Amino acid sequence: MSPIIRFDQVTVTALDKIILSNISFALLPGQKAALYGKSGAGKSSVLRTLMGLHAIQSGTVYFQGEPLTSLSVRIIRNCTAYIGQEPVLGAESVREALLLPFQFKAHRHHRPTEAQLMAVLHRLQLPAAILNSKSSRISGGEKQRIALARGLLLDKKVYLLDEVTSALDRESKQAVFEVFSDPQLTVLSVSHDPEWMERCDIVIELETGILNKIERHGNP
Amino acid sequence: METLDIALPQMAILYALCLIPWLLLWLIGLRLSRDLVIGIVRMTIQLSLVGIYLKALFNLNDPWLNGLWILVMLIVADLSILRRAGVKARYFALATFTAIGSSILFSTGYLVALVIQPAHFYEARYVVPLAGMILGNCLQGNVIALERFYSALRKNENEYATFLMLGATRREAVRPYFRDGVKAAINPTLASMATMGVVSLPGMMTGQILGGSEPWLAVKYQIAIMICIFTSSTIATIINLKLSLNIAFNEFDVLKDEVFARR
Repeated sequence: MSPIIRFDQVTVTALDKIILSNISFALLPGQKAALYGKSGAGKSSVLRTLMGLHAIQSGTVYFQGEPLTSLSVRIIRNCTAYIGQEPVLGAESVREALLLPFQFKAHRHHRPTEAQLMAVLHRLQLPAAILNSKSSRISGGEKQRIALARGLLLDKKVYLLDEVTSALDRESKQAVFEVFSDPQLTVLSVSHDPEWMERCDIVIELETGILNKIERHGNP
Repeated sequence: METLDIALPQMAILYALCLIPWLLLWLIGLRLSRDLVIGIVRMTIQLSLVGIYLKALFNLNDPWLNGLWILVMLIVADLSILRRAGVKARYFALATFTAIGSSILFSTGYLVALVIQPAHFYEARYVVPLAGMILGNCLQGNVIALERFYSALRKNENEYATFLMLGATRREAVRPYFRDGVKAAINPTLASMATMGVVSLPGMMTGQILGGSEPWLAVKYQIAIMICIFTSSTIATIINLKLSLNIAFNEFDVLKDEVFARR
């Protein structure tokens, strides 16, 4: 099986500072990976580089075997969901936030039904009433799950998560773990949560932009 | 009806009025003497030169010369917009020039050729001051639009990136900031139209009345100029922001740092 995500000797600079140096790793479809390291180690930069938000100075990032270019970045953005520490919902109410991507040309014809909305909320242990809540009034953990729900509604297969379990209580965390136990979903995450890291197939330690260590769990 | 001249001694009395704000500013601890003097001297010299130039321009009434004058105004406005909006002229000069140039040509042309209909469409007495007034307001609108749009984008970088990751194209992802920028640009004109005549007597109308026009004629000109200012500002800001989208982003839809002036 060929990797779905591959970093091949990738170096990234921003404002004349090296933020990633010669990074190489690969992720097969369905694999879960966690990046960890101190603040400023470059963990989030790995995710941002894959999303095409950082200019690559040298090396190549591959997604589904295709090098990252201005054309392929659209495919990456359409196939992946990014959920940050403080996810931006981008709409006033939770319902509008969930339906936001379906205003865009790319998803206009795939607007979910009410039943689909309810099902995804239930799956993530969110109450139906949250749909009418203001985005600014819900907790950080709820925001993260709404952002995740949006990814699920878009049927995304690749998830880029930045400390997603940090604001979740035990039950919500289990619901999130349950979602990602799906072997079809590939996850590249930034995490310091030992419980999540244990579930990952690959755990990568970064230090000041350099890949320090790769640990592989279970099947290679 | 003749307008009364302001003789030189009276002009001196007028300048003396500035001593009051200067004194008040000084009393509250604002040391703005230098800025005040520079402002007054520059205004006097610039307007005197314009007076001399306009007199010659009106006497000659040559379409090419009028066009050249408008071109100079457009270039100065273009550079002024970009400097005040905090973006580099090297990247945006052509886009802004295209936006303000096309909107000024359209709205001034519309006003002069279809509404006022002087003997010659290039009549300097109409074309030059009207284009100048419309351009002056357009300038403000474009500064606000560019500044508001790009500062909102930089401030909400994460939100913009989220929209991209949710499948938005660049144009779809910038839409909320685009709308805010255009709204901020046209709001002052809208507010000014809504209160015109109640809160203030507009400058052009006052000028015409002082110049001896009938109030009713002055009112019609004021309405004409306001509609053209609004039309022109809207067209110019939309074209300007749209064109700038092809300049300010790299091929990955990320804002380019180098297009912004360092502050």
